Amino acid sequence: MRVEYINPFFQATNDVFSVMLNLQTKRGNLKAVEELIPVHEANVVIGVTGDMRGSLLFSFPEEMALEMVKIMSGMEMNKLDAFVTSALSEVANIISGNALTYLAQNQLTCDISPPQVIVGAGGSMSMTTEKAVVLPLQTNVGTFEISISLHGSK
Amino acid sequence: MWKEHYRIGSELIDTQHQELFKRVGNFIKVVQAEGKWEERIQEVKDTLEFMQHYVIFHFTDEEELQEEIGYPEIDRHRAIHNEFRGEIRAFAKQVEQEGLDEEKVQEFGAKVMTWLIMHVGKEDQKIGEFIRSQGGSQ
Repeated sequence: MRVEYINPFFQATNDVFSVMLNLQTKRGNLKAVEELIPVHEANVVIGVTGDMRGSLLFSFPEEMALEMVKIMSGMEMNKLDAFVTSALSEVANIISGNALTYLAQNQLTCDISPPQVIVGAGGSMSMTTEKAVVLPLQTNVGTFEISISLHGSK
Repeated sequence: MWKEHYRIGSELIDTQHQELFKRVGNFIKVVQAEGKWEERIQEVKDTLEFMQHYVIFHFTDEEELQEEIGYPEIDRHRAIHNEFRGEIRAFAKQVEQEGLDEEKVQEFGAKVMTWLIMHVGKEDQKIGEFIRSQGGSQ
């Protein structure tokens, strides 16, 4: 997978986190993995089709997920219920959409599928067969990962 | 939920945005409250309608302002509003047909919240920039 696919995700996360959560993000070291694995409790999977195909996995620690939704809603959240996971899905969806818009500026046209939520860490996801790059993103409320498995013909 | 930096420099729209965040916040509070869903359902329904009406009402006023000031991106902005109007209508229809399901309402509440934050925090700020570029507030 090409490294220039990664930067748009960092840019998009930075922008969306700044607008929605008033948080700055710092990128950690990239890591290559053999498959997409939800390492934290709150996970959102988004499929990509078009000039690039594959999957994106957003994996948030539970505490961070609750804090993010607290920032947005102004209310204490105490469990990963449908409200919290849907809010995370929307954030992941907006980041992915924006990242793909940046990629479109490189003449790559893609579509994303509706987000799918997986609660609970561990286990590999049967839907992926290809390698992925893990992008860790640090914020004041915790560190989460975006695993990017995209493969294109261009 | 409302933040001071959301102000765009139109008193009418800034006041409406505050009201909109207030109604969305109240709706989420009612949806996320403790207690049996069946016992809370009427309050959920009332706050949901109260919020939905205001979204539609506010969009109309905001589009009128954009017309008045000759906002160059009005067509794009209206298209974004129309898409969201469609989602609100679709959910209202779903509620009418299937009733209020707790998870579906939670999902809808999360969608409205994130949409509103991103829209007012980013898209509407461009109207503010335009107003300032024209030399002042409305």
